[in-house]
Amino acid sequence: MQGTIVEQGVELMLYGMGTVAMFLAVLVVATTLMSRIVVRYFPEPQSSASTAIQKLRARTHPADDPNLVAVISAAIHRHRTGRK
Amino acid sequence: MDNLFSLWASSGLGKMTPGQGLMILIGLLLLFLAIRKQFEPLLLVPIGFGGILANIPGAGLAYSAVENAILAADPALLAPLAQLLGVELADGSRALLDAYTASGAQVHLAVQQVVQDAGYSDGILYNFYTVAIASGVAPLVIFMGVGAMTDFGPLLANPRTLFLGAAAQFGIFATVLGAVGLTALGIMDFSIADAAAIGIIGGADGPTAIYVSSILAPDLLGAIAVAAYSYMALVPLIQPPIMRALTTAAERRIEMVQLRDVSSREKIVFPLVLLILVALLLPAAAPLLGMFCFGNLMKECGVVDRLSDTAQNALINITTIFLGLSVGSKLVADKFLDINTLGILGLGIVAFAIGTASGVLIAKLMNRLGKNPLNPLIGSAGVSAVPMAARVSNKVGLEANPHNFLLMHAMGPNVAGVIGSAVAAGVMISLVGG
Repeated sequence: MQGTIVEQGVELMLYGMGTVAMFLAVLVVATTLMSRIVVRYFPEPQSSASTAIQKLRARTHPADDPNLVAVISAAIHRHRTGRK
Repeated sequence: MDNLFSLWASSGLGKMTPGQGLMILIGLLLLFLAIRKQFEPLLLVPIGFGGILANIPGAGLAYSAVENAILAADPALLAPLAQLLGVELADGSRALLDAYTASGAQVHLAVQQVVQDAGYSDGILYNFYTVAIASGVAPLVIFMGVGAMTDFGPLLANPRTLFLGAAAQFGIFATVLGAVGLTALGIMDFSIADAAAIGIIGGADGPTAIYVSSILAPDLLGAIAVAAYSYMALVPLIQPPIMRALTTAAERRIEMVQLRDVSSREKIVFPLVLLILVALLLPAAAPLLGMFCFGNLMKECGVVDRLSDTAQNALINITTIFLGLSVGSKLVADKFLDINTLGILGLGIVAFAIGTASGVLIAKLMNRLGKNPLNPLIGSAGVSAVPMAARVSNKVGLEANPHNFLLMHAMGPNVAGVIGSAVAAGVMISLVGG
């Protein structure tokens, strides 16, 4: 870069701001495109994930856990008796 | 009596210069701001303490071996040094140091050898600086950790907010103009590289500012880092008045559309897309954005949780300690107490204000042009300062409309600002440093 320091500064500003704006504009386009492609052609395997969650839920359903039930009922009992 | 005299001369008080005393007070002030006022304590505590250590008279913690030897002023050593450098011994140590800086590689080697033989070594803070900052390691490792902590979800849900991250970078370049303007008027004396490094303060991104100034203006690094981190802490004070002045009450009340869900596959692919774009278009930004994308990919891919956990906790903490102490080592009196430092502090706050204003103005424009409503308050979050700037947008939004939660919407421009300032840093380095 040549010229006086002010000219260099102006030049730096024009090039710099231009590059930042251009780069982020390209990134907007690329990101939008990427999102469309991923959502359209590579959707998340919803079914398997949700069944896994269901399995997990089924296994650890609160009502199935005798200890938890005992603790909760004891707590409720104490709460109720404590109120009186 | 002579013994008493030499004891006094070797004590800290006896050797203290007024500048060192003042710098120790400034170090204490930084510690006060960090501990009492909670201004970016994670950085200002190490920086303030490092600043005090660097100014302990006679200890020379922040000096290289050569500087230590010359400042120790041992006549038996100074004579051969003066001969090597071609300076009269009577000119004093300052002339010796200047001659050393100006001399070529061969003289450097010879002087270093003489000094080493005499048993002088680099100060510990100088070593930290060489390893952590001069090599570029610490800012980049921190950037990796920041990447591992960043969630691009809000940005991916609304990619248009990237424009706000670009708009807020205008503060950087306006400040460059300000710095060269001051130089042209003869008030300050900055080179174009100095001006570029000062401008980066407006990016409100500590590691980026340190990285750029370590390459373009190492002499100004102390002032630039202190300015960058102090103003990041002041974001909640600096931004709101500007945001209120530039928006109407009706605009501040705008509620935005709920963000869509972003799939984890999109989040995994995004850092790769960003990396490829950087590689193709702007290789100068590759060190910063490359580490950033790497950190983010470790977080999102879900198979290296241990690495991602280290990057965002242990590693970033260790690096922060050494980064802070190294920045503190640049707060030595003869390098920091300078009219240029005042200029940097002044220009830094201008950079912040202009970045905030341009972000808000572009957000207003996007609100007028776009079909989805966009609250201009999120524009100010385009100056990185994650997540402080987004919280400020949220807070100012809640004042206007108690049911309006802008936090997630503001996180989009906020992380876009990180990308934007890293891109700006890359442009600066390739245009000015090349």
